[in-house]
Amino acid sequence: MMPTSSRQAILDRIRAATGGDASNYADLPRNYIHRGPLDNASRLRLMAERLREYGAEVVESSIAELPGTIARRLQSSGRHVFVAPTGLPAEWLSTGFTWKVDHQLSHDEIEHCDGVVTASFAGVADSGTIILHHSPAEGRRVLTLLPDFHLCILRASQIVETLPEYFARCPQSPRLATYVSGPRATADIEMTRIKGVHGPRFLSVIIVRDDD
Amino acid sequence: MRASLFITCYNDTLFPETGRAVVRLLERLGVELDFLPAQTCCGQMHANTGFRAEAFSQARRFVQLYRDAECVVIPSSSCVAMIRDQYSGLFEELGNEELRKQFAALLPRVYELSEFLTDKLGAEDVGAYFPHRVTYHASCHGLRGLHVGDRPFRLLKNVRSLELVSLANLERCCGFGGTFSVKNAEVSTAMLDAKLTDVLATDADYCTALDNSCLMHLGGALHRRKKSLQTIHIAGILASTMDHPHGATP
Amino acid sequence: MDPRVAPPFPTAALPILQNMQLRKNVAHATDVIQAKRNNLVAEKRDWHELRTSAAAIRAHVLANLGTYLEQFETTCTAAGGTVHWARDAAEARAIILRILREENATEVIKIKTMTSAEIQLNPALEAAGIAAIETDLAELILQLGEDEPSHIVVPALHVNRRQVRDIFAQRMGLPELSDDPEALTAAARAYLRRKFLSVPTAISGANFLIAETGSVVIVESEGNGRMCLTLPRTLITLAGIEKVLPRFADLEVLLQVLARSATGERMNPYTSLWSGITPSDGPQRFHVVLLDNGRSEILGRKVERQTLQCIRCGACMNTCPVYRQTGGHAYGSPYAGPIGAILTPQLEHMQHAQSLPYASSLCGACYEVCPVKINIPEVLIELRAQVVNQERSQPSRWFDPMYLGMKAANFVFAGAARFRLAQRVGHLALRLFTGKDGWIRRLPSLGARWTMSRDLRALPDQTFRDWWATREASATREASQHEERR
Repeated sequence: MMPTSSRQAILDRIRAATGGDASNYADLPRNYIHRGPLDNASRLRLMAERLREYGAEVVESSIAELPGTIARRLQSSGRHVFVAPTGLPAEWLSTGFTWKVDHQLSHDEIEHCDGVVTASFAGVADSGTIILHHSPAEGRRVLTLLPDFHLCILRASQIVETLPEYFARCPQSPRLATYVSGPRATADIEMTRIKGVHGPRFLSVIIVRDDD
Repeated sequence: MRASLFITCYNDTLFPETGRAVVRLLERLGVELDFLPAQTCCGQMHANTGFRAEAFSQARRFVQLYRDAECVVIPSSSCVAMIRDQYSGLFEELGNEELRKQFAALLPRVYELSEFLTDKLGAEDVGAYFPHRVTYHASCHGLRGLHVGDRPFRLLKNVRSLELVSLANLERCCGFGGTFSVKNAEVSTAMLDAKLTDVLATDADYCTALDNSCLMHLGGALHRRKKSLQTIHIAGILASTMDHPHGATP
Repeated sequence: MDPRVAPPFPTAALPILQNMQLRKNVAHATDVIQAKRNNLVAEKRDWHELRTSAAAIRAHVLANLGTYLEQFETTCTAAGGTVHWARDAAEARAIILRILREENATEVIKIKTMTSAEIQLNPALEAAGIAAIETDLAELILQLGEDEPSHIVVPALHVNRRQVRDIFAQRMGLPELSDDPEALTAAARAYLRRKFLSVPTAISGANFLIAETGSVVIVESEGNGRMCLTLPRTLITLAGIEKVLPRFADLEVLLQVLARSATGERMNPYTSLWSGITPSDGPQRFHVVLLDNGRSEILGRKVERQTLQCIRCGACMNTCPVYRQTGGHAYGSPYAGPIGAILTPQLEHMQHAQSLPYASSLCGACYEVCPVKINIPEVLIELRAQVVNQERSQPSRWFDPMYLGMKAANFVFAGAARFRLAQRVGHLALRLFTGKDGWIRRLPSLGARWTMSRDLRALPDQTFRDWWATREASATREASQHEERR
């Protein structure tokens, strides 16, 4: 007799345990809030407020002023060596700084950069969450993980109020995603919230008014 | 209005004064009370300790006994919770169709005392007088099982000369938990300590509740620690009037 | 912590109840998280609807578990992952060790996962000469301090800053280290960073597996998860079979309830989602080990199945008044608190940890806060019935005062005449222990467990039913006398 594979054994046990279920996925109750009531201005305000609660720096910029705003943010960060995702728009690579474009940089090379600049996929105002789908303009996951400073460009049109609105917006589910809600923290030593265990300790966000 | 009193096994034996208070109170409000002497226990202790078959036989006895009662009043929220939450499961598993039907018909007619007063009699002012500082402890079964909500508060607020003091951490369990108080006596005691700290901080004369089970646990520790704060079932407060105040000889 | 050898809960709780530092830390931590959780729940207008949906989604998954697991296997494999199935802990360990040997691994970095503790993975790794490095700060503290977690979400909350300083100073070779939390965290950061950048193999758990896309989701606070998921060459994810969700969009419900319930935040700091392998981004070898280990058995039981809805938020623990006094150590299992009390004995096929279903006063606070509506008290009572049923066939039951007492009480409750007799007998017997002031201070046997901290008022001379009977009798007498006079 053929020995039953573990896979088969487990699936057999599960089938025996569940019999025939009738419940239909489409019939599951979903009476929670799907769309938030805030207007554009309030939504932006909320996003900025939540980001600041986390200790992130937030400024607004028009589309035209964006390269200048980026340059000023990088200047005020006091840092010099930045890593850029391959798809980052060229005009965002401000002069006066050292740029390492991520053509398969090693972890060590990235580790020696002071900061990273990226685009983003979405922002969720309710929780102040920045969402990266790691497209070419957002970069590989390691880029927003190793450097200590992350300058994130978030367009106003990318900001939604509620988490379900973000999910409604995803044309397909992403292969990779990172949701960032505040610089990392640990509550593990006497419940004290500490900045700076792993991941960027400094988050700077430029909200681009592409809705004007 | 007619009602049948289910005194509960432990009130009958340990806190008959609560039963007497319920009688005094309800008769004062014009309720014609009866007491079926065949009653014993609702089965909660056995059900909650894992003695299912035994709990079933007690539950069956309860349902058969009160089949024809107009309504049943019970001065114990944990016993009512047992009936509401666990009886149908027991009858599902161990009973028959007939029994399930009898229970379904009886269930809407079973009331915890404060529910009976506010919902059935529509009474929030029962003409009570109790000139003392009182804090109310929210027994878990009443709070989460029966959702008694603010019924006890509405009743207590209308008691003349009663000064109601709120209890911190009201919703935290006192640690009685039935056989838990004995099987896990040390943890039960630790929970009791925490609750007593809050109770004593109210500086009340009395601590009241819907259940003598919690009060037996709290009161037993208060007495052990030689505290003057007393415990009293809410029936004792509501039965107390100017003509017949609590403490006077019956 | 091994439930097979852990002492029963009442025994395990004793030394903890005497540890005032631990009790203070646990009470403080749980009060803080609980308050934050309550604030955010009050703020969330659709909390009840989210909870209803979360519970429904989880229940639906369990009812269709086979289908969703097979779907996950297909989509994960298509995305470049390798899916393994482990019937039990031993098999899971064997699979993981085999993969590590193929990798010639001498070290692995780990993200906290209770599932790995459940299968006792670390001792097996050590025995195979593989160093397992925990990278969550709390887990690191516990590992270096050779200690055990006391809370699902904040495992080292029983350790204060001085104790952490001492552990780090000794194990990291930093004698000058201060006990300032910032300094301690910086030390951990430096220590772990070296590991993140050099160790090529990582082991993680999973918060959710997405059947539709073959994705895995991990939520975390510190960033060590992202390090372990991104930097190494090989990633092994160990996940209980119940972790699966149908679709990516179901996260819109689960993520909202999870963060609020677990840490009292609107969203946890980092959530990572990945699907199989992505060329040039992250690990190029990815394995998922699906673990049964008793779950399929729980699945088949009507009342107990809801146990598997758990999303490991820890809210039940933070609200439990028993846990507040004992912390996690008393439960003798990676799973503590209310969920531990129902999950652990079931994973052990009710052969061990039978004291855990009794480690509860049935107050119901856990059910009230559970984001997926697990009726924990209902399951506790069901498990108690199973424990008693085991006891019914054991000869030792005749020496167990609790068992004898319950059987006697049932006999007594079966009829009013017996009940009244028992009342009289009890009244008489307890007179022996009653003091002059009408109170009992010491009782024998089981009673001693009551009187260890509480007095008992003496049984009144007249029961209620006797009072009633007397009243009825005199009312009848009066009525008939009244009749006679007429």
